[in-house]
Amino acid sequence: MYTGPVEGQSIPPAGFDDRPALPLWLLLPTAALMLLTLYLVFDWVSTEATMGIVQRIFYFHVPAAAVSFLACFVGGVSSILYLVTRQEKYDDLSLAANESIVVFESVNIVMGSLWARPVWGIWWTWDARLTSSFVLLFLYAAYLMVRRAAPVESRAGVCAVVCILGMLDVPLIYMSNRLFRTQHPSPVLGGGENSGLAPDMLKTFLVALVTMVLVWWCVVRVRRRVARLDRAVEDLTRRANELVDAGSIRL
Amino acid sequence: MMENLHWLFYAYGAGWLLIFGYLFWIGRRERHLRRKVAELHELLNEKWTPKKSK
Repeated sequence: MYTGPVEGQSIPPAGFDDRPALPLWLLLPTAALMLLTLYLVFDWVSTEATMGIVQRIFYFHVPAAAVSFLACFVGGVSSILYLVTRQEKYDDLSLAANESIVVFESVNIVMGSLWARPVWGIWWTWDARLTSSFVLLFLYAAYLMVRRAAPVESRAGVCAVVCILGMLDVPLIYMSNRLFRTQHPSPVLGGGENSGLAPDMLKTFLVALVTMVLVWWCVVRVRRRVARLDRAVEDLTRRANELVDAGSIRL
Repeated sequence: MMENLHWLFYAYGAGWLLIFGYLFWIGRRERHLRRKVAELHELLNEKWTPKKSK
């Protein structure tokens, strides 16, 4: 039982660093790239011949999906590292990455739906690509619920299983419109001989992709800080309760 | 070509709203938790009586 440090010592620190979660070296390039992306998407890039201006949703929709995949990988690897090393920093990173999947996958699905309506005439269809993306969103929503509900001692193990299932869904999503006939268009990048983007579209896409990765990194850093603070509150509350039980303090 | 412009704005608006809404929410949560940590820290430092060192 923790009965407090001896005379001359103070209460141990809560265990988080106090530097800003979003340093200027990250914030400034992210903001600049966001402005550049908006300029490229809304003014610079040429308009696609078949779908018209609505095709420009592509420059946000696809990077959001790519970032979700990256977050699945980061979340899954850090979950496994936590199970192996039991270091809390990996658990915090895993939580931050996995929660970001729910946000960016929601962005991907909502934007896809808003693109589908004018182009396909429908908001949604249960084809392989859309369904597997929907499953990914729900897997990670389930992860967040399990994390809240599961007892602390079994939480990491249960969450790691959900993460691994999520990671398995990523190649399925990627291959879905290669293996099955889908309403969703065939892959534009890496889809064989007839796929590809015009040079200006490719440049815009790459800038948008880098921007989205930086935005995701900002989100993960802030969420990781919140996870550390949550842990600090839990820790200090536990200490306070132990000191009350030991009669060292009266609240 | 331009008849679907409003869908483009809806989509970008929804995308940014989701991301910035989430950032705003966790930013608020961070401030709340920082206050709570400071309060708990202060309470513990104030209330306890250190044991004599041996």
